[in-house]
Amino acid sequence: MNSQHTHSIDPTANLSGQAVATPEPEPPKAPPRKSQPPSTRTAMQTSIQNSPEGKTMIEIDDLSFSYDNGKTNTLHNISLDIPEKQVTAFIGPSGCGKSTLLRCLNRMNDLVDTSCITNGKIKIMGQDINAKHVSPIELRKQVGMVFQKYNPFPKSIYDNVAYGLRIQGIKKKSVLDESVERSLHGAALWDEVKDRLKDSALGLSGGQQQRLCIARTIAVRPKVILMDEPCSALDPIATAKVEELMLELRKDFTIVIVTHSMQQASRISDRTAFFYIGELIEYDNTANIFTNPSVKQTEDYISGRFG
Amino acid sequence: MEPVQNPFSQQRNSQHAKETAVKVTLILFTYTIIIAAIAIFGKIIYEGSPVLWQKGWSFFTKKPQTLFVNQVEKGEGIEIPAKNFEGLLANNPDAEHWLANVTEFEKPADFIQFDLLKNSRIGSGYLSELESLNPDFYIIYTERDIDSPVGFIIQSDKEFSLPQADYDALKAADPTLLPDEHSKREIKLNQFRITLAAGEYPIGKDAHDALVSTELVFQMRQTFADDEPDKINRTVIPYDQTITVSGNVYFTAFDEDERGTLPLKSMEQIPFTRTFHDFTLPASSYHTLAHALAILEKHGVQHNHDTAKGSIIVNENTRQLTAPRAFWDALTRSNPQLKTANVTTTTVNTPFVRFDISKDTEILLDTEDRESIAAANDATGKFKTTSEETHSYSGGGVIGPIIGTGLLVIICMLVALFTGIAASVFLNEYARKGGFVKTIRLAMLNLAGVPSIVFGLFGLGLFVILAPCVTSTPKSSSAWMVPLVKIGSQPDLRIIEQKQIYIAQHADLGSSELSTLAAADGAKHVYDGWIWLSLQGWGTSILAGGFTLAMMVLPVIITSCEESLRAVPMGFREASLALGASKWQSIRTAVLPYAFPGILTASVLGITRVAGETAPIMFTAAVAEKSELPWEGLKSTGFDAFLDFLQSSAQALPYHIYTVAGRIPQSEYTQPMQYGSVLVFMLIVMFFAAISVGLRIRVRKKLKW
Ligand SMILES: Nc1ncnc2c1ncn2[C@@H]1O[C@H](COP(=O)(O)OP(=O)(O)OP(=O)(O)O)[C@@H](O)[C@H]1O
Ligand SMILES: [Mg+2]
Repeated sequence: MNSQHTHSIDPTANLSGQAVATPEPEPPKAPPRKSQPPSTRTAMQTSIQNSPEGKTMIEIDDLSFSYDNGKTNTLHNISLDIPEKQVTAFIGPSGCGKSTLLRCLNRMNDLVDTSCITNGKIKIMGQDINAKHVSPIELRKQVGMVFQKYNPFPKSIYDNVAYGLRIQGIKKKSVLDESVERSLHGAALWDEVKDRLKDSALGLSGGQQQRLCIARTIAVRPKVILMDEPCSALDPIATAKVEELMLELRKDFTIVIVTHSMQQASRISDRTAFFYIGELIEYDNTANIFTNPSVKQTEDYISGRFG
Repeated sequence: MEPVQNPFSQQRNSQHAKETAVKVTLILFTYTIIIAAIAIFGKIIYEGSPVLWQKGWSFFTKKPQTLFVNQVEKGEGIEIPAKNFEGLLANNPDAEHWLANVTEFEKPADFIQFDLLKNSRIGSGYLSELESLNPDFYIIYTERDIDSPVGFIIQSDKEFSLPQADYDALKAADPTLLPDEHSKREIKLNQFRITLAAGEYPIGKDAHDALVSTELVFQMRQTFADDEPDKINRTVIPYDQTITVSGNVYFTAFDEDERGTLPLKSMEQIPFTRTFHDFTLPASSYHTLAHALAILEKHGVQHNHDTAKGSIIVNENTRQLTAPRAFWDALTRSNPQLKTANVTTTTVNTPFVRFDISKDTEILLDTEDRESIAAANDATGKFKTTSEETHSYSGGGVIGPIIGTGLLVIICMLVALFTGIAASVFLNEYARKGGFVKTIRLAMLNLAGVPSIVFGLFGLGLFVILAPCVTSTPKSSSAWMVPLVKIGSQPDLRIIEQKQIYIAQHADLGSSELSTLAAADGAKHVYDGWIWLSLQGWGTSILAGGFTLAMMVLPVIITSCEESLRAVPMGFREASLALGASKWQSIRTAVLPYAFPGILTASVLGITRVAGETAPIMFTAAVAEKSELPWEGLKSTGFDAFLDFLQSSAQALPYHIYTVAGRIPQSEYTQPMQYGSVLVFMLIVMFFAAISVGLRIRVRKKLKW
């Protein structure tokens, strides 16, 4: 883990403060893609022309990723820009690499010994996150993650939410109290649990547990929240609550969500990316994707005629 | 109407019979095991529980005791302290047949409390008695004067033949000790100064052995085997050398070596004389200085300490010492230079029992009870024993072994848990999954299969005789030692008094020179004013035993720790890392706390296993007989005392059972002890097993995710 940095370069500064200073990407023009063979990629090129409005938060540039030291690539030359304070959905058939890409964004794949990025770059707030002096710990404080299977620690609700702050060394009770309350409010859970903060988190319902995990994530004030199928283990009512919450969170956070539910993607996301076997097929405004997909594969997939 | 045919009717009867046969066989096997288990446990409980019942707490509170079977004449008015009377009843269930007129009374005893003041001169015998009466009182020998006077008694005339150096030293120390009459003997000896030419020569075994002890540098083409005394090997002398050898070596290696021939370039005879002083010390009582006595002891004097004559000047004030009146009287009478203050007398009433023995009978007594009954009736002579038989270990008491086993288990678990948790966290959380980790796991599996006696030998080799020690008095047998810092103060003279220390005159000798000098002096330790790091081992000690046991359970502990770690869901680690925790933070806060209950259960199981092992502690920690608990009888203070405690040997339950059941002469008195000890042991093990089961149930209930 390359956690330490020289005096001149402070990753936190790079990841937070300086982002404002980075030149804003010119919205209408797509950056030049070097390695793409023009013949096969024309369709995608055109679809990507529709770059997001607003500031770009995450720039993925020609990314290839491998789980086995570069022998075979799981992701192939992915390029996409994720806008700030919007919801971006990743859809695609199982095994196409959505989770893999998502986990690249906060370097969770560092946990897999044999994984490596074989090509391209990921920039968040203008900073290459795989650069040498970037500490994955500082990165993950800015890029939080909510997992498919809700996984609160077997501790009290309060301790769960305070966990992220405590490991940063914050011990002051007043600070923790305030942050826990704000985060639980933010996750629309406060009213349901305010009387039993000291109870075990495992006593909550599934939907509540997932919202607790979201509260835990926003407690450390990240800029980006990655969600990997956050609703797949929840029933429709709990799902509706989490979706509502996401629309609320969208005001403060940049959200990237992986989902298998077309309805969910269309309901909550501003932009949608469709992946197929490790490749980005189409990336556009959600409305465009669902009403007027420009690639046949996308159309087949969203209309359920896939095969 | 056609009858309905049963669609499930039995098709083949033979199949049914087969099924039944299999079932019966399985039941039989199962029941055999259960019956065997019941038989064994039943026997132990049946035989053991009466022993525990009869002996009661004394079975637990006393250290292993010898049983004395006394033939006692009838008598009246025998007195015994009440607590020993209980022991007497416990050892003699038939007491009602000969016991009469039992009356309880209180026997007053005066105790004197006093402060011992600086500059008191006190007899060394009185001092050690005071020390044993007051467990916290100890004047370390370093604070005693090396020139302290000692008294000793020689029972029969002793002839001495002292070399000049020792004679001079003795004369300097205490000229009054030497008798007027002594004779001087001069022995003429030859040394040979020889020059050997470089080359390759044949050489016989005797010559070889003689030359090894000289300064000669040479190499052998082959080594001599012990069973081939006549063999001749070729030796290489690499360059011309001139050495000085004793006559012995010269004659063996050059004159008498018919089988080989070492050519001498030149030879020069250097005569010298050694002087010996012969004198006789007549049997008597002497008064001299400690180091004068040490010289005599080096030359084999057999003596008893005369406590009235030797005395020590106390150089510190000590408060609140206690002594019984009789001892106090003797103390003040015989030590005129004793300075005391704050002398108070308290009377303590000790409960006593007076009884009659109505007829000649056989009475069983353990060591403690026997001593106290003898002491109480010494003056009156009412307790008359005509004959006495002793049966080792049959007097009960398992507290020593229980405590020894407890200490071993504690040390073992401390070591094993720290190492095991560290290793399993590394293997499970840090190490890349690959060949290296696989090799370690394989090695560990193999280790788990190693017989425990092999661990015992391993522990003997590693911990008992090779482990590193930091000490100012390293053993002269140390495998390797390096000096660390110079302290320059006096060594702990307790060891000097035991004649085991060699004190170097120069502070800058090398380790090999020191060892050689010490070995020549017959000393087991050396001292030269430095603190050494010495690979000399920890001796037979609870430390060595604990480490050996730890090595043995380590594979088990690591495996179960790893299992507990693996049972913690990956999600906890990911969630914690995603919240910005560093790797160690996530392990510490989101993995270890949830693996901990599993680790705890595993370690309790480890404890039961370790507590029962005999083989690993046989060579490393356990002794068959020890009258003191490991922390008793330590003569050092402070941290040194803790180190001495760790390096002391102990009894252990499994080894005690082995001793009682297999190593001492068997008699009708030893058998109950076997069953009693086994029952105690079993109860302890079952207690731990129950804890482990209970823990597991609780943990299962509490931690679900
Ligand atoms: N830790 C890993 N080691 C090796 N290969 C992996 C690992 N995780 C995923 N893969 C492989 O990478 C490919 C992409 O997996 P990924 O989990 O990203 O798919 P996904 O799009 O999230 O699918 P799903 O919708 O089922 O979650 C799959 O073929 C999978 O087998
Ligand atoms: Mg996935």
